[in-house]
Amino acid sequence: MFHNSSQRKYWIFASEDELEHMRYKANQKFRNKILESGKAGLSESMFLERHEEDVLFRHYERRLIDFCSAFKPAMPKSVVGTAIMYLRRFYLNNSIMEYHPRIIMLTCAYLSCKVDEFNVSSTQFVGNLLQETPAGQERVLEQILEYELLLIQQLNFHLVVHNPYRPMEGLLIDLKTRYPTLDNPESLRKNADDFLTQTAMTDAGLLFPPSQIALTAVLNSSSRAGLNMESYLTECLGLREDKETLSKMYDSMRRMKTLLKKYEIPKPEEVNVYKQRLERIHAEFASSNNKRKRGYEEDGHVAKEPRMAEEEWTDEDLI
Amino acid sequence: MDDQGCPRCKTTKYRNPSLKLMVNVCGHTLCENCVEMLFVRGSGNCVQCDTPLRKSNFRVQLFEDPTVDKEVEIRKKVLKIYNKREFDFSSLREYNDYLEQVEDIVYNLTNNIDVENTKLRMEQYQRENRDLIQRNKATLTREQEQLEELLLLEQQGNEKRRLEALQEEQRQLQAKRKNKQALLDDLEQSQLPATILLAQHKVRAAQLETQIEQQKQAVKPTNLFSTGIHMRQTVSLLPVAKIEEVLYDYKPLHVETYGPPVPELQQLGRLGYLNHVRAAMLQDTAGGYTSALACHRAVQDAFSGLFPPKG
Repeated sequence: MFHNSSQRKYWIFASEDELEHMRYKANQKFRNKILESGKAGLSESMFLERHEEDVLFRHYERRLIDFCSAFKPAMPKSVVGTAIMYLRRFYLNNSIMEYHPRIIMLTCAYLSCKVDEFNVSSTQFVGNLLQETPAGQERVLEQILEYELLLIQQLNFHLVVHNPYRPMEGLLIDLKTRYPTLDNPESLRKNADDFLTQTAMTDAGLLFPPSQIALTAVLNSSSRAGLNMESYLTECLGLREDKETLSKMYDSMRRMKTLLKKYEIPKPEEVNVYKQRLERIHAEFASSNNKRKRGYEEDGHVAKEPRMAEEEWTDEDLI
Repeated sequence: MDDQGCPRCKTTKYRNPSLKLMVNVCGHTLCENCVEMLFVRGSGNCVQCDTPLRKSNFRVQLFEDPTVDKEVEIRKKVLKIYNKREFDFSSLREYNDYLEQVEDIVYNLTNNIDVENTKLRMEQYQRENRDLIQRNKATLTREQEQLEELLLLEQQGNEKRRLEALQEEQRQLQAKRKNKQALLDDLEQSQLPATILLAQHKVRAAQLETQIEQQKQAVKPTNLFSTGIHMRQTVSLLPVAKIEEVLYDYKPLHVETYGPPVPELQQLGRLGYLNHVRAAMLQDTAGGYTSALACHRAVQDAFSGLFPPKG
């Protein structure tokens, strides 16, 4: 249940500004770390700015969704939603300059398969990297396993993610049962589904409870169809007397819609420029990463050979 | 089948059940008869290894393997010399080393390894530690004596108790016999009818019995339990202080869901929710699944945390 979950307690934030502040801090932390290491020939201009990071993040998020929707066997929606949520939570406190989103996103998908009981073996999982040779897939798998523990740690071991998909089913059932005014609730489903798919790519999951997101999706879909469902809120959900809650809910719904409107698809040319810079940053500062990984190996978490060709595969191989 | 036999006269236990095998220091066996025959003069050589032996050193073989007997003999001898004890050493380690050394010597002598050198070593040790050996021997014998004394005391005590019990029994028997005799005498001489006499006798016999019983019980006015605890020790028999507890008062669990109330699982069907979910298939129900479960969960999820927190 969401109401006593770690998601409600630790992963619902008050405002967009708070999220932005956290991401800004993560960005600064990485910069300071590199600057303090005192390497020669460093300049502030090398690093990615926050908005640049954001573009790249959205790009990789889309890649993750593409990867999941092309996944065989077909991946349930909740698994995809959980994976995206992991990715967002991870990069809330970490900069993409520190951990490359290419591998983190696959790790998120892999972990969410496990957590959401979508049973695929690890070889089956990397088998979906169609452009990779079997040897390449093996390498990716090793990397995934290497980053899995880090990811879990960064998620603070809060692995259960409540997605808005089941709440939406519940709402539809409730509408059919208690709200006969509405002729055909099933007709709302398509638009509501699209709404949820889009909200998954925004920070809505970090700001609002999944049930609110689902309700917004349904109401949004109904208003598009030219139906007014306010009486559902006042009669069935018992908000007639509680004007304060009602207005707050409308407020949240408006915020959610603004979030959706603000979403921009990352421009390919921008993405390419930033990606090159990201690659350079990772090539430059890979040493610090390797140190961490070797630490893992010493701990006996990963007993594999250190990989020489980590940067061999590119994201173009993913789909 | 029984291969225990005298190597000289080839007699076995099977053919001569009273065969007694003897062993000497060299660890070779001979039967009693052969020993008598060969060692008439008191000494001679072993038939098998030519070691000079004395007749008085022959022992009855206790173990099936004569080398074990030999080892026991050797060990006895070695320990007479190597009689240091643990508190003669400053550390456990040294004591253990010493024990190891003793084992080495015993093993060597038993298995005829490096006998000469080992013997030399022993003699040297004996010379070096003569005083200590003597002293330890003395203390050992003293301790032995004390132990024997204790054993003797215990034995005496046992014997005394046994005699007392015997006397007691005899006394009782006598009393019974006397009682019977008295009855016969009474029957012979008294004027009273026999039935009364019999009744009287019965009463007396019963009295005697109870007396005996009482005596038996009163035999040991001991103040010790068999566990060694003093009987007079007072054990508190007061009841444990009663603790008054407040009775548990059940209050139904209230869960804050931050949303509208969710209908109870049992009422879903009545409220018509179940008309809008896929009915459970027959094979699903085997595991206890009902469509109400999934429906309830979906509705719960839909309402959980729906309202923004107040204030």
